[in-house]
Amino acid sequence: MVDESNKGISANEIALYDRQIRLWGLAAQERMRSANVLLITIGGFANEVAKNIVLAGIGSLTIIDSRTVAATDLAAQFFVTEESIGKNRAEACLENIEKLNRRVTVKALAEDFRSKDDNFYAPFDVIVASELTFEEYLSINEICHSLNKPFYAAGLIGLYGYVFVDLCRHRFIIEREKSNISAKIGPETSSRSIVDIKTVREGVTSKEVITKEENYNKLSDSVKNATSVFRGLRSRALLKVSPVLPAVLAMWDDADKGSTSFHELVLEKCRSLGLPVGIISDQFTTSFENSMPTTELSPVAAVLGGIVAQDILNYLAAKEQPIQNWVFLDGDTFSSPIYCI
Amino acid sequence: MSRDDAMKIALGSDYNAIQSARVLMVGAGGIGCELLKNLVLTGFGEIHLVDLDTIDLSNLNRQFLFGHEHIKQSKALVAKETASKFNSNVNLVAYHANIKDPQFTVQWFKSFDLVFNALDNLDARRYVNKMCLIADVPLVESGTTGFNGQAQLIVKGRTECYDCNPKPVVKSFPVCTIRTTPSQPIHCIVWAKSYLFNQLFGIGEDESPDLDNTKNAENADEIANLKREMSELKRVKDAFGSPEFVKVVFEKVFETDINRLLSMEDAWKYRRKPVTLSYDDLKTSVNRQNIDIRAVLSKDMVNWTIEENVLVFEDSVNRLSKRLQLLQKVTDKSESFPMLSFDKDDEDTLDFVAAAANLRSKVFGIDLKSKFEIKEMAGNIIPAIATTNAIIAGVCVLEAFKVLQKNFEKAKMVFLSRQPGRIFSTESLQPPVPTCAVCSIARCSIQVDVSKMTLGKFLDEILMTKLGYSAEISIVTSKLLYDIEFDDNLNRTLKGLGVGEGSFISVIDEDDSGDLTPRVNLEFLVYEKSFNSDDIFYSLESIPQIPRQPPKNDNIDDKQSDLEAPLVSSGSGTTHKRKAEELELGDGIKKARVDPSTAYMDIIDLDDDETIDID
Repeated sequence: MVDESNKGISANEIALYDRQIRLWGLAAQERMRSANVLLITIGGFANEVAKNIVLAGIGSLTIIDSRTVAATDLAAQFFVTEESIGKNRAEACLENIEKLNRRVTVKALAEDFRSKDDNFYAPFDVIVASELTFEEYLSINEICHSLNKPFYAAGLIGLYGYVFVDLCRHRFIIEREKSNISAKIGPETSSRSIVDIKTVREGVTSKEVITKEENYNKLSDSVKNATSVFRGLRSRALLKVSPVLPAVLAMWDDADKGSTSFHELVLEKCRSLGLPVGIISDQFTTSFENSMPTTELSPVAAVLGGIVAQDILNYLAAKEQPIQNWVFLDGDTFSSPIYCI
Repeated sequence: MSRDDAMKIALGSDYNAIQSARVLMVGAGGIGCELLKNLVLTGFGEIHLVDLDTIDLSNLNRQFLFGHEHIKQSKALVAKETASKFNSNVNLVAYHANIKDPQFTVQWFKSFDLVFNALDNLDARRYVNKMCLIADVPLVESGTTGFNGQAQLIVKGRTECYDCNPKPVVKSFPVCTIRTTPSQPIHCIVWAKSYLFNQLFGIGEDESPDLDNTKNAENADEIANLKREMSELKRVKDAFGSPEFVKVVFEKVFETDINRLLSMEDAWKYRRKPVTLSYDDLKTSVNRQNIDIRAVLSKDMVNWTIEENVLVFEDSVNRLSKRLQLLQKVTDKSESFPMLSFDKDDEDTLDFVAAAANLRSKVFGIDLKSKFEIKEMAGNIIPAIATTNAIIAGVCVLEAFKVLQKNFEKAKMVFLSRQPGRIFSTESLQPPVPTCAVCSIARCSIQVDVSKMTLGKFLDEILMTKLGYSAEISIVTSKLLYDIEFDDNLNRTLKGLGVGEGSFISVIDEDDSGDLTPRVNLEFLVYEKSFNSDDIFYSLESIPQIPRQPPKNDNIDDKQSDLEAPLVSSGSGTTHKRKAEELELGDGIKKARVDPSTAYMDIIDLDDDETIDID
């Protein structure tokens, strides 16, 4: 592994990253280059995230996973093979991840993240967790948010999936050609405001460089807010809400369910969120329930892994609109709304 | 507990169709690597992959099946080798070949349940689209550019094909913009790459596709000017090989030619006047500054100063001259004159184009660009990242599930375009455009001895007698073989006219005279075969039923008259716009099937029990 992290970006790196530098620029690439990312468990979704951000050339990646590779892991994980079965997941994938890009420092910790204290998270720039329980996401997010560290949680449930993003407070730039509709400094939405506007001349054209800031909710607050954000929306809009949202929240409800069917639980969740129960079909809840709590399919992992990885890279580059703050994917209908809760 | 569990849970018994599926993936690059990984992990039983390309360093930021050690090797073969490790239950077959190769016959395409395009060019996409329509195999088409991407399903008779809607045309510039009045860096780059480079080291004349000669110079003055410039440049080449060559070239293009342009005063009434460059003055400045050429060449992301550009111009001209001279030495005099061609990855040619373009920009008061930027513009580089390809490849497999589950209504056109509020936007797949020259024509195949079958016999016996055409038709391959005013070829054999295995012969009905409208185009796919008999040397697989074009009459609903329809090929071989009311999309075809009183439309011939379902 070539350690070039202390020096500036080399000509060889520029040649390797040529096609992506042409998209996000050299400055963004240099910022990514020094980034330190943590992946908590390395399932199929995390395989995809790891592939994408290592190829892009982040500085270092740490993977922590106490589980061992099982045959079912092979459905969506390409860093491990049959020979890896029984080995620790983090250690088993290390070599193949390193091979993707020798410039990235990759560390594998065959440990349980639950044994780590808050200081463990301090050196990282971004923390990504998957395959965990709601309570585990809550507790990691609490730590991250208090340390002002960006946090991503994601889950794959058969053809369905979700992503939750908490970037705390994040400033980023958007570049666009100077348009007739001028941007104004000040709030844009309840979470986002425009902080600065610069005009940059490039020959005969002008472009605007707009600095924005997004403020994020913790997971605990967001889930509480869910019961109020949909109130006041017109029924046309409500009927378009993704069924994956109430299904995920129903799945996460810790309350003693008794003999209530999952379908009923999802309907109840709809009612408590102010959503029409018509968005929930039997077929959907059956399909979802069969795949609960985690069933990782390769194409769904690829889609969500790509979405999250790009958001991470954008965050590191401090460019482009980040996800604010939930994505719900339905691999059956291709519905993929972003909800700000 | 097995690797199949997740898929069985998610898809149930539909997973069997995936495990026994035999699929083809065309392209093993950005989308291809991601798609192959998904297909293998998901457990598609047999996967064939075709790619003609080899691996390059610039691929490695996203084509993750390849490593540094694979540079210059075949993409298809290395992709197979790496991906086969992901699932030993899957059978992979790789071809380092061009999908247009004759080995990939219609029969071969027919052997697949599904085809995936993972291509980066229009020509190959069109080709695969056509083959999949002929073979009647569903095609998942996709593409990505930077952060954006899209995927769609193409099914013959059910959805639009790739050619149902016109695709954007590649940009070309008028000659005067390039040669006389440039105003943007790209104009100077095209000048350097397609004019100056070719005149000095390459093709010569104006054979370059970047220069659009149909949009000609505005007046006689300008035309005369350009001609004189070019003939002078040819004389300049006589100095080739001499130590003064660089100076002679420089003074010609950046001084003499500019002075001549300045004499055309009208051109500069409202435009900024070009300014000549003095080779001697600039060289003096260069020498005074003591510039290190190596350092200049390696700093490709920063603009060079005018002196640095002069130095690079000189240095690259010398390098290219040496190479050309070497080529000339080893080339036999009787062969065609050796030449170099521009390649963005050929540093000598890139350095030359960069310096020349910048010098020309300086002349015209246009901003200079860095070598990095010039490489992108001159080389038509499309920025590309791993994530977009990974996402779209995932979408392709999700689309494939719908095909194998026979759930076509669930398949969509999916766009990844960074819209606020959602990741993907989707559109329903539209039915085929009835006037599409690729998917909505009649097709049949013919087995024929091309060295015995004459065009005349083809016309008389097959087209007129068997299929009922009049003599008022055009027969076209890549050129016109016959029409009512051009019968010179009737005695020639098909072979003599360039028709062979895999050729397409189109028959265009020009007969507008009767009660019925002309027929839609009929396209024959030719298979070569020798026959034992002296009399019989062809066989048609079946007599195709050829529907008539929709009529131009008043019965049709006026509601859609505001809509402009895409250009179509009419019987007279010219193109004209049809109003939407004439098309009666979808409904018109349905009518033909259920209402026998609409006698103006022949029933469309279908395979056996297949029906057209229009959503």
